[in-house]
Amino acid sequence: MDRPEQQSQSQSQSQPQQPQQQPQQNRPAQRDMMYCHECHDEWYRDEHGLTCPECGSEFTEIIEAEHDPRADEVMFDGHEDDDESMPDLERPHGQHPLHQHNPWGGSPESDGPINFQFRQTPGGIAITSTFYRSISPEEIGSGHTHHAHNHPVMEGFAAMLNSIAGLGRPGAQQRQEGGQGQGQNQGPAQGEQGAQPTEGQATPGTSAGSGSGTMPGGHRFTYTSSARLSGGPEGPGVHIGPGDDPIEILLGQLLRAGGPPQGHHQHGAPVPLNPLAAIFANIGMPGFIPGGAAPGDFVYSQEALDRIISQMMEQNATGNAPGPAKQEDIAKLTKKPVDIEMLGPEGHAECSICMEEVNIGEEVTQLPCRHWFHGQCVTMWLSEHDTCPHCRQGISKHDAPQDPQDPSNQGNTGAGSSAPGHQMPGSFGISGEGTTENPFLVADTPEQNGQGSSNIEQQNQPSSSGEHHQGGLGARLRNLFGSD
Amino acid sequence: MSAGAKKRIMREYGECMADMPPGMKINFDEKNMTEWEIHMDGPEDSMYAGGHFLLKIMFPSEYPFKPPVVSFKTKIYHPNVSNDDKGSMCLGLLRPDEWKPPNKVVSVLRLIQTLLTEPNADDAIEPSIANEYKENRKEFEKNAKDWVKRYAK
Repeated sequence: MDRPEQQSQSQSQSQPQQPQQQPQQNRPAQRDMMYCHECHDEWYRDEHGLTCPECGSEFTEIIEAEHDPRADEVMFDGHEDDDESMPDLERPHGQHPLHQHNPWGGSPESDGPINFQFRQTPGGIAITSTFYRSISPEEIGSGHTHHAHNHPVMEGFAAMLNSIAGLGRPGAQQRQEGGQGQGQNQGPAQGEQGAQPTEGQATPGTSAGSGSGTMPGGHRFTYTSSARLSGGPEGPGVHIGPGDDPIEILLGQLLRAGGPPQGHHQHGAPVPLNPLAAIFANIGMPGFIPGGAAPGDFVYSQEALDRIISQMMEQNATGNAPGPAKQEDIAKLTKKPVDIEMLGPEGHAECSICMEEVNIGEEVTQLPCRHWFHGQCVTMWLSEHDTCPHCRQGISKHDAPQDPQDPSNQGNTGAGSSAPGHQMPGSFGISGEGTTENPFLVADTPEQNGQGSSNIEQQNQPSSSGEHHQGGLGARLRNLFGSD
Repeated sequence: MSAGAKKRIMREYGECMADMPPGMKINFDEKNMTEWEIHMDGPEDSMYAGGHFLLKIMFPSEYPFKPPVVSFKTKIYHPNVSNDDKGSMCLGLLRPDEWKPPNKVVSVLRLIQTLLTEPNADDAIEPSIANEYKENRKEFEKNAKDWVKRYAK
């Protein structure tokens, strides 16, 4: 059964520009194989004609290299899960309803069929899809490989995923529970691959597919994937970890195949997202990519990685800086009229925020660091940054100089000198690092208290007083990273 | 944009005019005062000598609470200027987390000039150019001068 089929297919492969022509009966090596969708029988067309000799059905098809109807059936039969639950979706006549559906039928770039299969499983919906894609030598030569390879797959995937989204329970979070995917050789194409072992390198855009069939003078690819969507996080099924989920590997391949390797983005502009990535984002599967990274963040060079890092740093530009000051702290700031001492040596001064000149007697707001500004001006700034616009010292109390009279800062380094649960951030700097849960456990724990951090801690100690418990750890982190 | 911000931009323009760094000219349009055009000559002691560069400074509506945005409209081969159609320059006091309201445009202009003379390869936006600047200064200078000839004449 396999031998004749192989002959037939490899024959067609040697003539990629002329898709399987009508019978060449006088040459047995090129005989057409027929396939019956009813009883899955196979026969030679020149022996039994178009009607199935086994069951008499006329629902038959010529097996072609580009379109092997058995592929669907094989995949179907390969699954244990029962079809019963969604009979109307599946093979009303032994054939999948989408079998003839070619979502990109009009596109000159596409040539292969796409097969989608849906099955309802106890946990959700399982989908299987197969893409075929042939690439002619001209496309490869002209460097259009990316596009040529790109769009049909994208569109196909889009169509598939849209279908998934439509079938999914509204409101319930869909998630990828597992599945498998790999580019795979179709049938006899394997024989050809040995003859052209370097084909993958020849077409960089396509090499991401882990497997590829080839045809002389052209390239053919098949992506097969299946996935299972569960109705909700509690759905049954084994959750495969992000690191080894094969569907993610497949998607990685597709993304790589779709995204040109020169992933440069304009500075300051979003990374141009791979259309596939956008699809995934749209249907709310952010956890799809290993590590939770945005799919557009795949990079191919150190430079691209650097760009992404700097972009992220820009997006989080204020991530290092202290957050807003508390409104109550802003309200408590000293307000006073400008006096002669506050003016500069030239006898005049301006609010350095609005650059307006300030006259004696005008009321300004003075920060703990003694820098002063128009109240309105500095409030605008403090509402976003707890720093002095001049010297960056914070205005919140925990950043103010330590008050030696505050009893909570005195001599409470001895463990047990106060009630358990009462926290003394003020004591941190003295004996080392503590946590809010366990403020006293510190001195001899090197893993908590690395040398570097302890040194810095010591330097910062005077400014990290403990008057405000809630400010303790956060303020000290700020001091470590943010205040200069 | 608030009246205060406009006032401040006006004042800063006055200050720039009074204290203009050499080799610079500002095109200021009162109707669109948040977008300044700067014509700058490449500093004589730099690889960019002889070049004429057009820059834009855009003031965000939150100015002076947010930094102005500097971009080179003339292509320039420089580790701190993005090599794309934006020509962004974003470092030092121009960085959002380093900006503070008392900074002034005139210091921004000086920063730009200083950077043309002394690129800051450790804070680069173009890592490959920065690398070349550090490892292969000759090649960098050649490229920079080449770009001046090509784009900045």
